[in-house]
Amino acid sequence: MKRRWLPPLLVLAGGLLLWEGLVASFQPPAYLLPAPHQVALAAFRHAPALLGATAWTALAAAGGFLLSMSLGLLIALLFSQSETLRRGCYPYAIFLQTVPIVAVAPLIIIWFGTGMGSVVLVSFIISLFPVITNGTAGLLRVDPALLDLFRLYRASRLQVLLRLRLPHAVPYLVAAARISSGLSVIGAIVGEFFAGYGSGRQGLGYLITLTSGQLKTEYLFACVLASAGLGLVIFWSVGRVGDTVLRKWQEER
Amino acid sequence: MTHTLRRWTGALAACALIGLAGCGQPQPAGGRDHVRIALNWFPEPEHGGFYAALVHGYYQEAGLDVEILPGGPDVPLLQQVAAGQVTFGVENADLILIGRAAGVPVQSVLAPIQVSPRCIMVHEESGITRLEDLRDLTLAMSPQNPFYHYLLRRVPLTGVTVVPYPGSVARFLVDKNYGQQGYVFSEPLLARREGARPRSLLLSEIGFNPYTSTLFCTDELARTRPDLVRRVVAASIRGWQQYLRDPAATQRRLQELNPEMTPDVLAGGLEALRPLVLPAGSRPESIGRMSAARWDELLAQLEECGVVPGGKTTAAAAYSLDFLPVPAGE
Repeated sequence: MKRRWLPPLLVLAGGLLLWEGLVASFQPPAYLLPAPHQVALAAFRHAPALLGATAWTALAAAGGFLLSMSLGLLIALLFSQSETLRRGCYPYAIFLQTVPIVAVAPLIIIWFGTGMGSVVLVSFIISLFPVITNGTAGLLRVDPALLDLFRLYRASRLQVLLRLRLPHAVPYLVAAARISSGLSVIGAIVGEFFAGYGSGRQGLGYLITLTSGQLKTEYLFACVLASAGLGLVIFWSVGRVGDTVLRKWQEER
Repeated sequence: MTHTLRRWTGALAACALIGLAGCGQPQPAGGRDHVRIALNWFPEPEHGGFYAALVHGYYQEAGLDVEILPGGPDVPLLQQVAAGQVTFGVENADLILIGRAAGVPVQSVLAPIQVSPRCIMVHEESGITRLEDLRDLTLAMSPQNPFYHYLLRRVPLTGVTVVPYPGSVARFLVDKNYGQQGYVFSEPLLARREGARPRSLLLSEIGFNPYTSTLFCTDELARTRPDLVRRVVAASIRGWQQYLRDPAATQRRLQELNPEMTPDVLAGGLEALRPLVLPAGSRPESIGRMSAARWDELLAQLEECGVVPGGKTTAAAAYSLDFLPVPAGE
């Protein structure tokens, strides 16, 4: 356990020292680049606001992520069942990956109004694609010999799907979940740039807009760290769940 | 102030500026000083006078080779000027004070727009005629704008849901129970063109009135090149006088640069802008003046609503009256 935590901690400490040292020697103005201790002070001073905002963003990101996983899997299941459907729709799924969300987000607000729903929707749009593409790949790339075996036993389409394809897709879906979890945080923050939750309830996107516009750079860095931290926590939690699922999956094989 | 795509680039761009100091110092080019003026937004009527000075050759006559750089959302303008990437910037007085408080060494030298065009736009159908009466609606405003915090502090806003400013009037057009921030010569005209009946409520009516589109430069330039600053200021004032007198050529230029601004919107915009540049009782000769009392009041307001921490800057550091022309007979 110790071994696992030590390297990243050393990198962190080294990075902070280097940063602090560079700021101390070159002394750029704080509005351009604050020193780590200034950022820590700002984070401490604004801790209640930061924690509250992080909680809202976490909620929206979790919503977007869960939607992506469930709807993404559903779409992947449909794609695996019909080649026509897959060929017809897959190019448009790629569209999700390439759509510039900053251009679409204002429209989402116009269509659906502001509030949690719209933020979750932006998070969902950004984090959906990896689930579709990985899920479809996992469901399709099945050993042909095994497919023949199932056919030999006259397994129904549903049986092939549930007993062969779906179990085969599990590692793919776990990988998709990891990618998607990080994207969902980015999506939630971008969503918050455009849609708020209503008066008094402010996510990290609000704080980032506010602090960057008012040149409160230390506070801005603290917000960026909070979003990075949130991303890490979600990524780590998803990873843990994924590991457990994978272990079970391997035992069952 | 349309089509804001708020991007999270300010901080990154600011970091990229480190080490680039010095490259925007005015360089003599063919006997003329090369000067770059960066705007705080896409070219709109609030920048009209600066373009007029360019279009009509006033800068040239003053021995200046001027290039105006259009701005956009989240361009780190103060940092660019402070780093010396551009010689001058055009920004509102409240932002200059925020910059000073954060340690950015810049100062305003000219204030062409005396009355702030900042408004809250509501539908006439809402029956709301004063900012104090804002209630029971959705109100879109950008939290980085100081007026947002001033309004929150001064007006009870009962039943108002504040949401981020989406950067366009689209939502306004479909929702009668919706208000949004704007500039009187921009958003209300765009909304009217699309068939809405907007009513503009000026923030200046509840006392928040920062000088708008002020020309600013670094403390260093003001100290080392006072003559250059004076020439840019004088030519810009001529530009503003010309823009109010005969705007045709300038409007054409603005439209080329910002096609969103159609001729009717630009024409209506100028009419809305005129009393803000020349409030009742003032004359074209006095365009651009600033008063210490107004800067003091603005700083006190920003400190009161928590936008600027107390004691970080003085109002006097944020502007200079030294470069404005001495009026005849004084």
